[in-house]
Amino acid sequence: MKILKTLSIASLAFALASPALAEVKFSGFGSLVAGQTLEDDEKLNADFYDVGQYENTTTFKAESVLGLQVTADIAPDLKATGQLLAKGTDEFKPELDWYYLTYKAADDWTLMAGRRNIPMYYYSEFSEVGYAYPWIRPPSNLYWWQVTQFDGFHASYDFSTENYTNSVTAFYGNEYSDDNKEMLYYAEIGNRQLNGASIVRVDEYWTDIAGFNVNVIGDSFDIRMVYFQNDRKRIDTNVNGETAIRASASGFSQQFLGVGGNVNIDNLTIIYDANYVAYDDDVGTVFPTYLISTVYNIGQYQPYLSYSKADHWQTKSDNEKNYEEHYMASIGLRYNLSSKASAKFQFDHFEDEGDKATGWDYHGNSQTVTAGVDFIF
Amino acid sequence: MKKKQGKKIVLLASTLLFSSLSFSDMAVIVHPDNTSTFNTAIIKKIFLGKQTKFTDGKIVIPMNASETLPTYDAFNDKMIGKSRTQINAYWARLVFTGKGDLPKILTSDTDIVSTVSVNQGAISYVDSSSVTDKVKVIANF
Repeated sequence: MKILKTLSIASLAFALASPALAEVKFSGFGSLVAGQTLEDDEKLNADFYDVGQYENTTTFKAESVLGLQVTADIAPDLKATGQLLAKGTDEFKPELDWYYLTYKAADDWTLMAGRRNIPMYYYSEFSEVGYAYPWIRPPSNLYWWQVTQFDGFHASYDFSTENYTNSVTAFYGNEYSDDNKEMLYYAEIGNRQLNGASIVRVDEYWTDIAGFNVNVIGDSFDIRMVYFQNDRKRIDTNVNGETAIRASASGFSQQFLGVGGNVNIDNLTIIYDANYVAYDDDVGTVFPTYLISTVYNIGQYQPYLSYSKADHWQTKSDNEKNYEEHYMASIGLRYNLSSKASAKFQFDHFEDEGDKATGWDYHGNSQTVTAGVDFIF
Repeated sequence: MKKKQGKKIVLLASTLLFSSLSFSDMAVIVHPDNTSTFNTAIIKKIFLGKQTKFTDGKIVIPMNASETLPTYDAFNDKMIGKSRTQINAYWARLVFTGKGDLPKILTSDTDIVSTVSVNQGAISYVDSSSVTDKVKVIANF
């Protein structure tokens, strides 16, 4: 995959250096979001993957982001795309988050190769583009995975029927997330040890990620289905430099199933997404999750409600259901400032229903207010 | 009585004339050689990037009027059924996931007519008063 990175970046550099040979386009998106929890001891994970958190003092860093996209037509039907992302959680240090080549093999066939987000949940591929959805964020208690991107290949076939526009995408790839930020955070707050010494680095590997998406778009609704599987491996490194594979998080595969979409009825939009993740580990771990949200469109105003629920069971264990469990109930308003910017206000109630006896209630309850501006350019 | 009826007819006729004028003062245009089938649903799909070929099999090149032209909002409102914000949110999702390219933007009716007149795959929209015999009108709105 290093070859792909080199190829994509080299193509972009080439296109930028010789504008006469290629059409180069710049575009971008951003969100400036401030927020805090209402009580002293409350904490909300607004961005699990990058550990973007709200506490009882106002911060802009948890969710603010700026993205710059460059696309260049480098040959007929061949395009290179790069996306630089600067996030508040990374002190706004820009990172080349996405880089990929798109080849239009035929009018109805598109091939992509490179680094992109894994198409997991309905909003996974554009979860950073706040302008494209009503809320401050897609509900963070569902978008909780420590891996969101991968290096891989996609093949999409588009076809139309009289009333529907459809596409089927197959994808394959791998993600070797060295020094995973979310996993290190959990190791630190849990004071996790290896050979009696603190863990200072966690590598998270998702390999042979293989699956497909099916999209059906009608005039007033759309449905998206997803299935993929991957193998899992986690490696801990302690302060003495000793490493070990973590058995409880390695050597099994996971299956991801989901169905989500939108329904529009007059001024009302209903958004739904139901997902089921299953490990083939010894205890039969599964994570059923769902989101339901209603958005009302009145002129430039979009008031909304959303409810998202996440569960964690061990179907082969005597203690089947007493693990992680939480819901997030949110109310908010989007107001369109212009055709390229919108202001949002949101209140979230996070209820941690995790099992106290086994320590799975480690998130804690919280009430959070956030306000922000999302824009595109 | 007769006089009153006459007045009513004049009023009705002028209302019809006025409303038909105001309904069709903008036109969707294509290259004169384009013999494909068009209706509102097809035009909508084309401008949302969901249909990339005309019914005659040729590749579609949709072109939008710039946001500064009055035709832009009228077209989105009457033909697409979406506001500027909804259109932009729709495209933001496609553009930033690499799944669609925004239609090209042209800044004047003159530009639009001259571009469409020389591109077999072009489709755009202008004020009806800008239409010439070098383009073909396929719908009014």
